[in-house]
Amino acid sequence: MFLAGLIACAITGILILIRIILGKTTFDRVLAVNSLGTVIVIGISLHGFYSNRPEFLDIAIVYALINFIGTVAVLKIFSTGSLGGDN
Amino acid sequence: MHNNPILRISTKILFAPIILFGLYVQFHGDFGPGGGFQAGVIVASAFILYSLVFGIEAGKKLFPSNINLILLALGGIIYGGVGIVSMLLGDEFLAYNILGSSPQSGQHIGILLVEFGVGLTVSNVMIALFNAFADYDKTKEK
Repeated sequence: MFLAGLIACAITGILILIRIILGKTTFDRVLAVNSLGTVIVIGISLHGFYSNRPEFLDIAIVYALINFIGTVAVLKIFSTGSLGGDN
Repeated sequence: MHNNPILRISTKILFAPIILFGLYVQFHGDFGPGGGFQAGVIVASAFILYSLVFGIEAGKKLFPSNINLILLALGGIIYGGVGIVSMLLGDEFLAYNILGSSPQSGQHIGILLVEFGVGLTVSNVMIALFNAFADYDKTKEK
């Protein structure tokens, strides 16, 4: 069951990579990178349970966190032009 | 980001759990994935998220730059200090066995202190790097 999930994650990841390469606007690409991160989080968790090492959940949580912060940072750079501004 | 209530509220909700998770990774490093480096980056990411959403000035009010630089150096001093103390007690540099009454407790104390120093340094270097990059545009425009 976990193997089927992993294969589904791989196929979805390839589709999202195509979206990143083709993406018409920057925001399409940002959204695609964010959803690729989500798929990778699911993939890490599934791989952890597939290989009987549930500690991988910690890494998945960190990946989700960094994914969120990275997306916020990229969007802030694109909308305001600086990382530190308050607007 | 005054016009973005979702980000502001989610940052306020996430801030404490991120630091809690960083502490979990710090002190759980000997049983699972983790250690000082990873915990430092996770704790720093909480402050970086706060500075991103509320602005660098609010971030510096929350965690002043001079304290940041002092803690940055203090982590390295803790790391080196553990090594020097074990040398003064008559063993090699960073030989943990001599720090406690038995070798096991010595290893425990030594690893805990060294990982604490590494985590302190890494988190403060990350925050200092972010502050340097986020301030860069402002100083160039002046």
